[in-house]
Amino acid sequence: MELLFYVAAAIALLSTALVVTSPNPVHALLYLVLSLLAVATTFFTLGAPFAGVLQVIVYAGAILVLFVFVVMMLNLGRRTTEQERIWLSPVAAAGPAILATVLLFMLGRVIMPDTTLTAAGLKTITAKDVGIILYGPYLLAVELASMLLLAGLVAAYHLGKSEQ
Amino acid sequence: MTAQQLTALLPFFVISATIVAVMLAISVRRHHRLTAFLSVVGLNLTLLSLLPTWLAGTGPVQVTPLMVVDGLASFYMALVLVATLGVMTLCHAYFEGYRSDREEIYLLILLGALGGLTLACANHAATLLIGLELLSLPMVAGVAYATSDRRAVEGGAKYLVLSAGASATLLFGLALIYAATGALDLKALAAILVNANLGQPLVLAGAAMVLAGLAFKLSIVPFHQWTPDVYEAAPAPVTAYLATVVKAGVLAAALRLFHAAGAPPSPLVVKALTILALASMIVGSLLALRQDNLKRLLAYSSIAHFGFLLIVLVAPGSRSLETAGVYMATYLITSLGVFGVIALVSSPAGERDREKLSEYQGLFWQRPYVVSIFTAMMLSLAGIPLTAGFIGKFAAIAVGVESDLWLLVSGIVLGSAIGIYYYLRVISALFVPMPGYERVSESMSWAQSAGGVMLLLSMLLMLAMGVYPEPLFLLARP
Repeated sequence: MELLFYVAAAIALLSTALVVTSPNPVHALLYLVLSLLAVATTFFTLGAPFAGVLQVIVYAGAILVLFVFVVMMLNLGRRTTEQERIWLSPVAAAGPAILATVLLFMLGRVIMPDTTLTAAGLKTITAKDVGIILYGPYLLAVELASMLLLAGLVAAYHLGKSEQ
Repeated sequence: MTAQQLTALLPFFVISATIVAVMLAISVRRHHRLTAFLSVVGLNLTLLSLLPTWLAGTGPVQVTPLMVVDGLASFYMALVLVATLGVMTLCHAYFEGYRSDREEIYLLILLGALGGLTLACANHAATLLIGLELLSLPMVAGVAYATSDRRAVEGGAKYLVLSAGASATLLFGLALIYAATGALDLKALAAILVNANLGQPLVLAGAAMVLAGLAFKLSIVPFHQWTPDVYEAAPAPVTAYLATVVKAGVLAAALRLFHAAGAPPSPLVVKALTILALASMIVGSLLALRQDNLKRLLAYSSIAHFGFLLIVLVAPGSRSLETAGVYMATYLITSLGVFGVIALVSSPAGERDREKLSEYQGLFWQRPYVVSIFTAMMLSLAGIPLTAGFIGKFAAIAVGVESDLWLLVSGIVLGSAIGIYYYLRVISALFVPMPGYERVSESMSWAQSAGGVMLLLSMLLMLAMGVYPEPLFLLARP
């Protein structure tokens, strides 16, 4: 489990660096997906499966797909289709694919039936524990976070509205 | 929760209800004056709802691990709310002539005020971070409010990226300290900062990052570069918000982190704070000298002022906590006045605010009343006796002398001496005789006169603080 943690953390760091340095947005997004998955894996190894699952569903699943769609939709027309074909060439996907394979291999090694599983963190936090904390002592933080989301929404609405 | 805790949280309930009411009112019908009226009424009710806890005087009320409502919290909540009220009045005067949608700004400012209240009561890293974000995120849209103006959008983008960077730094710092010690409670964090030593690299790195994040929001050198650009790009009332509400909220949080333990922070932290304070005083004052843009000049002046104010984080004891409150109150009322005048002479919103110093040449002969207020406020910023600014500076220097912080005290003296030059430069420009001037009768629409009344009140309050500061010291006593 500890080895998996370090490998996943290294992949997260490497792919995040590649997100920042990639000159074109689609490549950067592919690395970003990988970076988020690697971070989710570190959450699993630390004994926070709920946070890991949320990371995969919310970030890698929903938000990133949205990003990819926005990037694709901003580029309309035949010339950009050509551009996209070049962007999405197998070579471009090779880097993320290799790193993802390493991650998968490490995951597979851990869930082999003959290994004993102990979290690298101090204890395992289940979804129930998270819920009890969020709706007990941290209730005010949840409410304030909802106000923060409202602030973001109003700000985005005002800035994104087109001038007639 | 007990009844006492619910009473302590009353301001939060009232302002949240106001936010929802204003939002619904806007969605039903866009009406500028109605929106402004609802917001101001809500804020006044929030201010009133501070009273039950304050009058009960039961000492600190801990509400869940996240918040504590004590004397410090009540005082800074009142400061945040009063400043927000002032900003609202200015908004009403300023945006009356604005051509596009005007109502959202009230919603954004109310949300920001909720962030300020959260910071004032924050007792936990989570509330600290959420409060900080709630205080600054709405103002990204506030700075870029005039979306058709390239300069405003650029300023908004700058503020968004840099302020997100600062928040990330703060979060990283808190995470490092948490990793080393497992503490998230601000009281525990303050105690850790007192005992920080060279044997705890994680804690020291974390403390540095937390300090950097807070220093960014207070625009302390070397984290100040965004300040002049954003102040210049933002509409004048939003600039007033950034200079008052944001600073008051963040200062309250900084006091809890660096001051609440009752003992001086560790020598390493003190050294860092001293360097930051000196750099802000000197760099802020020197850069203000050569500004021809009034908003940029005031931005540098605020950098210098917060350099002066940092002395309270270095000096331990309740005297310096009281001084922080007094200084913040005097600075707040003064900047509200200064930016208020800029907002009033700039409105109705034209292409850009009246901000070039050359546009203020001889303004006294055209608009004597407003300019008289402006002059008084400038003198207060310079710290001339009988104004509030003098009391603030006096208290800061007194604390410095008491704690033998001679380096910082001499920095304040030097910074104030330089300051007098550039404040007087602005004042002398206002009174340049204009041959063949024509006195413009001040346009006195309802909104303008409400703004004018607010300015007059703030000037009277400023003078009252300067002449009879005793009540202010009593209020600020923790």
